[in-house]
Amino acid sequence: MNHACVQELIDRQLPEGGWPFSSETTQWAVEPTALALLALPSESVRERDATIRFLLRAQNANGSWPAFSGDDEGGSGLTGLALYALNCRCAQGMATERAVQWLIESRGWESHWLWKWKFRTSDRHVRFDPEKFGWPWMRETASWVVPTAYSILALKHSGSISQQDFVHFRIRRGVEMLYDRICPEGGWNAGNGVVYEFPLAPHADATALALLSLLNEPPNYFITASLKWLERRAERCFAPWSLAWIILALDAFGGPTELLADRLSSLVVPAEISDCATLAVALLAFRLAAGNNAFRVAHET
Amino acid sequence: MTASLGLAAGASTTALLNRPKYHVTRRQPRSRVAILRAESYSHNLESVLHSGLELFHLDLRGKTVLLKPNLVDYIPGNHINTHPLLVCAAVQCFRRLGVKNVLVGEGPGHQRDTELVLLESGFADELRQLKIPFVDLNRDELVTTPLLAMYTGMKLLWLPRTVLEADFVVSMPKVKTHHWSGVTLSMKNMFGVVPGAKYGWPKNILHWKGIQESILDVCATVPVHFVIADALVAMEGNGPLTGHPRPLNRIVLADDPVAADATCARLMGLDPARITHIRIGAQFLGNVSTERIDQLAEEICAPSNPFDVVPEFQHLGVTGSAQRDS
Repeated sequence: MNHACVQELIDRQLPEGGWPFSSETTQWAVEPTALALLALPSESVRERDATIRFLLRAQNANGSWPAFSGDDEGGSGLTGLALYALNCRCAQGMATERAVQWLIESRGWESHWLWKWKFRTSDRHVRFDPEKFGWPWMRETASWVVPTAYSILALKHSGSISQQDFVHFRIRRGVEMLYDRICPEGGWNAGNGVVYEFPLAPHADATALALLSLLNEPPNYFITASLKWLERRAERCFAPWSLAWIILALDAFGGPTELLADRLSSLVVPAEISDCATLAVALLAFRLAAGNNAFRVAHET
Repeated sequence: MTASLGLAAGASTTALLNRPKYHVTRRQPRSRVAILRAESYSHNLESVLHSGLELFHLDLRGKTVLLKPNLVDYIPGNHINTHPLLVCAAVQCFRRLGVKNVLVGEGPGHQRDTELVLLESGFADELRQLKIPFVDLNRDELVTTPLLAMYTGMKLLWLPRTVLEADFVVSMPKVKTHHWSGVTLSMKNMFGVVPGAKYGWPKNILHWKGIQESILDVCATVPVHFVIADALVAMEGNGPLTGHPRPLNRIVLADDPVAADATCARLMGLDPARITHIRIGAQFLGNVSTERIDQLAEEICAPSNPFDVVPEFQHLGVTGSAQRDS
């Protein structure tokens, strides 16, 4: 399965080095590209190198990454993932330093004093603390869980020595934001735990990603409750994208994943998964059998 | 698409909203709406729907039809999504009309794993059995598209190629109340064509720019040619996710999204003229007035108790004679 996934992923690599979401298009997108870079094994030297060169070319002048081909140059919430993937492949340099700088400066709009005031005084239907902010999907919007988790992962493993205080500040704020937006039963969804006093349900992929970004945090109730929720959710998850993320997170926290990996194996027919991001995450999960968790070992040798 | 921090966004005042800001007029002199009775979600829906569609004399031979259901998330026991049996019935009906191709497409606003929602909501099995292609609009190829209205102030949106290339777009909402927009019907349902790959989960920019304004801009830019609204079991209260089921046992068909939404609102006991995007939409996207709507099949039967809404939208409710006049 591992080999079949690798081959399918390589077959779908676009000539310029990136991957699209859907195998039916040629419009590259950063999320499947960065996930593919993380997933490809070290033997795929040529494809990995092409992907690294592609990501470096695709970087915006301000240090961020667009979400896809043609996207505006303001920067997307996938910048953290692109940076994390490059760092894991030891592709540090000026480009990654600029990305770190962009992540330090990018923040959800709820952190602006005007919106803080509004959320504190007149707009209180979503339960959250605007002092605890992370990263948005795009400019001029609020912080959400997935871009925040990607950004925390990237900054924790950036190795940047020039701006350590700022990096540390943003990581702490981002972690606080995740704890603030957690669902009452544990776990995360897009980023709204309670709305109009109603608890909303967590999502498996967002929960797994948030947990991966919290991997080295001191043990606490939020992490424990979320891991328990994720274990329960795993029992009835049959969608490859979510199941693969669950496996990656549970493995990173030392949980057993063999049965889940078997289930994922039975669900994945590489050629039939049209979404390249899903194929890449499935491959990341399959590679755990060889002891490779791209989210536990940041700098693979 | 559901909850968001975006309530902060509705910066425009009502007065500003009322100023015409559109470059296109889709409103026809008259619109047609059919209210069909249906007792349950079953395979009989196809015959009910087919008889309803015949009232519209649609000529869709050789066309590509895109059905856009409301597929938000899956929570066991909650009537959140357009029912898969209604969507499949619609596919079969359009196939009988000789269309070239029928696709189902959606880009959930809250849940990133669209396949998970399809699997757990029962859509995947139904679609597979009937060999119906599904397009995840969140991850489709994107094309930059100038907006044909400017209520949000955004000049363009990235939109899925599948949507732009469809000849005939059918909005298939679940009839629900909504804690940010009052209701979510055929017009609000079109938020699902705005791709998460660009705008994220949720599509938060639409909230910051104003939900009512965004609905108008999206619906001006992506024409809704037809509506099939799932009102068999609707939702009231704190929709779109955590409200309560409210059986109406109806399917609403229309050749005009504004007329469809106005009719659905009346069926909910709400005054469409008090729902901003419906009221403004009546300037250029369709008809609200019952005098401009040809009512086919059943008459509107307003409930004795309007749908329950969150406190901010209590003013939408009307009863009795006021309902008939709205």
